[in-house]
Amino acid sequence: MERIFQEINRSPYFSIWISLLVALIALGAYGVLLSLFVGMDVFKFHHALPWTIKISTYIFFVGSCTGISMITSLGHIFGVKRFEIIGKRAALLALITVNVGMVSILLHLGHPERSYYFFLTPNIRSAIWGMSQFYTVAIPFIIVELWFLMRSDMARIANNSTGYKQLIYSLAVLGQRDTSHESVERDHKWAMRAAVIALVFELAAFSTLGTIFGHTQAKAYWYGTYFPLFFLLTAAYSGIAWLIGIIIVTYHFQKKDMANELKKLIFEMANIFAVLLSVSLLFILYKVSVGLFDPNQSGAIMLMLKGNFSLSFWAFEITLGTLIPIALILYSLKRQWLWGLVAASVMALIGLFLTRYDFLITGQAFPYFRYSSLDTVLPTLVESLVVGGIFGAFFLVYTLAVKFLPIDEKTH
Amino acid sequence: MENNKGISRRQFLEGLAVSTSGIALGLPSLSEGAVTPIYAKLVDTQKCIGCKRCMSACKRWNKLKIDRAEDLTDRETELTGNTWVVVNLKSDAKNREDLTYIHWACQHCEKPACAGACPVSAIKKYPEGPVVIDEKKCIGCKYCIMSCPYNVPQFDSKNRITRKCTMCYDRVLRRIAPACVAACPVGALDFGPKKEILKKAKDRTEQINGYLLGEHEAGGTNMLTILKTKPEDLGLIVAAKEIINKDLDKARISFSGFSGAATAVAMLYLYSIFGKGE
Repeated sequence: MERIFQEINRSPYFSIWISLLVALIALGAYGVLLSLFVGMDVFKFHHALPWTIKISTYIFFVGSCTGISMITSLGHIFGVKRFEIIGKRAALLALITVNVGMVSILLHLGHPERSYYFFLTPNIRSAIWGMSQFYTVAIPFIIVELWFLMRSDMARIANNSTGYKQLIYSLAVLGQRDTSHESVERDHKWAMRAAVIALVFELAAFSTLGTIFGHTQAKAYWYGTYFPLFFLLTAAYSGIAWLIGIIIVTYHFQKKDMANELKKLIFEMANIFAVLLSVSLLFILYKVSVGLFDPNQSGAIMLMLKGNFSLSFWAFEITLGTLIPIALILYSLKRQWLWGLVAASVMALIGLFLTRYDFLITGQAFPYFRYSSLDTVLPTLVESLVVGGIFGAFFLVYTLAVKFLPIDEKTH
Repeated sequence: MENNKGISRRQFLEGLAVSTSGIALGLPSLSEGAVTPIYAKLVDTQKCIGCKRCMSACKRWNKLKIDRAEDLTDRETELTGNTWVVVNLKSDAKNREDLTYIHWACQHCEKPACAGACPVSAIKKYPEGPVVIDEKKCIGCKYCIMSCPYNVPQFDSKNRITRKCTMCYDRVLRRIAPACVAACPVGALDFGPKKEILKKAKDRTEQINGYLLGEHEAGGTNMLTILKTKPEDLGLIVAAKEIINKDLDKARISFSGFSGAATAVAMLYLYSIFGKGE
């Protein structure tokens, strides 16, 4: 706490940032309380569209977690040394994104306290059941991976501190205060093992999340094998976007110099980012082409091309979310311009967030709305406040984590 | 009606008690063969006068809240978490002056997609035909609403669970017809063993040169509706007739997802070998 107040005194930007995040969370909490005391109608903008922005926010965050883990597996699992340096920050981001996503989905459920029925009376044919079980395994292993990655640094802090700080860091390392080279090697081995299990189950969970939609024969736009694959692709580039954006912005606000090998790694990730964005454009083109000729899907496709979602689709999903980031990345790579990459990452993430929402609503709209009209496509104000609170929680947890946890990149 | 050979004295006495009441109500009893009878509900839209007594009876029997002004108008009414049956006036798209009252509720599919989707097995297809949501188990994920081809289950925001018509399963267990069927003053609703109902429905459909909804749609349903014309002409959602084998289909799609994940891992591995970083 003392460190936070010191930071507030030192930097007005930090206090504004924290205040903004706390305000967002407070508004979100207000929205949740309203839903508890007034009823979940405060989240409903149409009775035929029960899955709304909290679901798309969940998909956005857990997809980001999977994407981050995919990219950093190159370091921890596949032995590409240059990727190891971002391992700790990536593991932290993966943990925060998946937990924030879980908060979003828990707020969507009518009775989250009945979740024990997942274990008492499971339905193994249900994709939601499968997804929940995979995440139940993945999340503890992400925690284990992060712990092993940070253990030696936290042990070093414990060894060099006194009083409460020493106590807290000693507890954090569960008394394992050995900082020898052998113990660090051992940590890396266990981190790798945990990372392997976490990655396998995260991939299984997120592809199963795609099959939740793929299984619904009643919703022709979602039905089939397309979305499980599209989800994985977009998860990969969202992971890169988060890593690039967060690393550059964090270094800027911490006023730290970025080592050359970290910069090189960021530009390498940006290369992969551009390729994945281009592939996603091909996927979208495929889906639109096939969907237009399928009478069961054309309604949803037309909603995006010419209907209520046309602005979101053309301006945000295609232009802001894909075309401009590709151009910016290519330009930034040529000019070795880091802030260009930040801008590309932010735009891609905004585009992806709206892509998730558009996909969710247009998929539900048909066949119901063939005989009715879709008056509005925006979530309710209360639900928007809750989602704002979720984003606020994400950034607050990350901001505080970088203050207290030793996750800085150790470069040579 | 067959009797099993060699039934015990207890079975005989139970059967005698149930069959007496069952026969009085016109429904087959458990003692008639060892097989659980499968029931179906029949809606004859050509007899319906739109009085909406069925809607009121449903609300009374199931103790459902009145969540809007329940006036007897022909304004379009939607199913909600507290309105499990609706009667709407529909016009034929080919002849707008041809109006029909359509009694609409859960179709109680033979292979309910909602039951397959529920992650906590809160939805069950009973042998007698009804598809029922266990309201004490429902976690309110709304996946059943997504899975239903007819958009039937609805979320009750106050109770925070998904609810729908149960075909008055508690009455069916006691061999009594659902509340809506019992309330209909003109015999537009019928209830009985599915074989008999289906035969009645086919005969009647042929008689009016109409369309029988529910014989094949969604893989067959335990609610059959006799329409004068095709359901899409009346603005009704039409479920696919052929339900692709649900479990195999789900396995196929899940496999594609896992294959995608495996491909991603393979590409990461290849990148680790061939990726130069420059």
